[in-house]
Amino acid sequence: MAQFTVFDILRNLLLATQWTVVLSIVSFIGGGLVGMLVLFARISNRGWLRLLGRGYVELFQGTPLLMQLFLAFFGLALFGISVPAWLAAGLALILWTAAFLGEIWRGCVQAVAKGQWEASASLGMGYFQQMQHVILPQALRVAIPPTVGFSVQVVKGTALTSIIGFIELTRAGTVVTNATYQPFLVYGLVALIYFCLCWPLSRASQILERKLNVAHSHH
Amino acid sequence: MLRRTFIACLVTGLAAATTVPVHADALEDIKARGTIRVAVPQDFPPFGSVDLSMESVGYDIDMAKAIAERLGVGVELVPVTSANRIPYLQTDRVDLVISSLGKNAEREAVIDFTDAYAPFYNGVFGEADLTLAGPEDLAGVSVGVTRGSVEDLTLTELVPEAVEISRYEDNNGTISAFLSGQVDVIATGNVVAAAILERNPQRRPELKFLVKNSPCYVGLNKDEPALLDAVNTIIAEMKADGSLNTISQAWLKADLPADL
Repeated sequence: MAQFTVFDILRNLLLATQWTVVLSIVSFIGGGLVGMLVLFARISNRGWLRLLGRGYVELFQGTPLLMQLFLAFFGLALFGISVPAWLAAGLALILWTAAFLGEIWRGCVQAVAKGQWEASASLGMGYFQQMQHVILPQALRVAIPPTVGFSVQVVKGTALTSIIGFIELTRAGTVVTNATYQPFLVYGLVALIYFCLCWPLSRASQILERKLNVAHSHH
Repeated sequence: MLRRTFIACLVTGLAAATTVPVHADALEDIKARGTIRVAVPQDFPPFGSVDLSMESVGYDIDMAKAIAERLGVGVELVPVTSANRIPYLQTDRVDLVISSLGKNAEREAVIDFTDAYAPFYNGVFGEADLTLAGPEDLAGVSVGVTRGSVEDLTLTELVPEAVEISRYEDNNGTISAFLSGQVDVIATGNVVAAAILERNPQRRPELKFLVKNSPCYVGLNKDEPALLDAVNTIIAEMKADGSLNTISQAWLKADLPADL
């Protein structure tokens, strides 16, 4: 068997990190867009939309991501719908992320004082004008820290896609460990790479929190 | 209105997706496709491991390539873990599982097996200073094993109840647990332990006692007699012409046992 040098190990882990990064970005952007829909459903005036949004959030927050991935990949295949691994992974991660982001953002929108809605309504603004000019800009400030914070969870959540055959960072670590039998070194490097991906996000979250936490400081 | 359109689209989409024809005969499908899809391990040397560029190599990979060559088709290697190799087969994502698969009653209920293609002896392995003659000596010793593997099922029946068995999700977890000192001994295949010894790790898994002879079989879906026959014929040919022995020499450093 070929002997891996530390450089070989690191190179293979970094190649697999590409998948971790791509999956994170896809789930974050896709999850953000779907999460917007979830948000509007959750705060809608229509009862059935609120119920639909709530059911969606409960479903995806109440079941493990691992199960969602497994069902998307193997479950659909049992019904004759053959989903490629990238689609199943992307879909499950997007839907999962959307449930959490939608719920985080709902909290942020509802944190905006009721008087703001009433004041903007008294100026004759319609629902979307209120949202656009008054509510969302304020909610955004509250939303950034938890949103960025959640993105760290998304990065780590992509590790679960190995169950459906993705060779992302964690899986590559497993595979390389069993070609080298150096678990300390390999998993140490894996942890370090995750840290390098997540730490800047956590840091950005802290900085943004300090800069934007003005929503409550002007009262 | 929008909702109705959405539902209509969904229904049409589902109908289109579910009309994928159910395959009639796996062997014909393979020939028509021109490639055979084989589930192989990636974390279980010497059966399946990776080289420096993360390409799969090992006994099972050579076996998959040999079967494809003799069928006159290309090969698509699908890396799997011990946890998902059977779902891959059941959901028709692979045609064969060549993934150091042992035979037991639970597995025989859901998939079919060909003849054996590789030897595999389960045993208990630990450091040299530990003296263990049989399962009854395991009391007070922590044992690591891969959950649901043949060695797990066998050992669970054999050992006294007081033995502390730690079950890991995959072979990697089991091996890492031993190398890092989480468990005193591991139950695994003799060839797996040999592959670890070859790397000269700090903790050396030396053979304590053998548990069971559990050779590896090729797994395939039920009711595929044509494919089953074809693979069995190839395995018999490979045993007869010595090419299987060549693979055994390359990866297991030993001749095939005569009774395989």
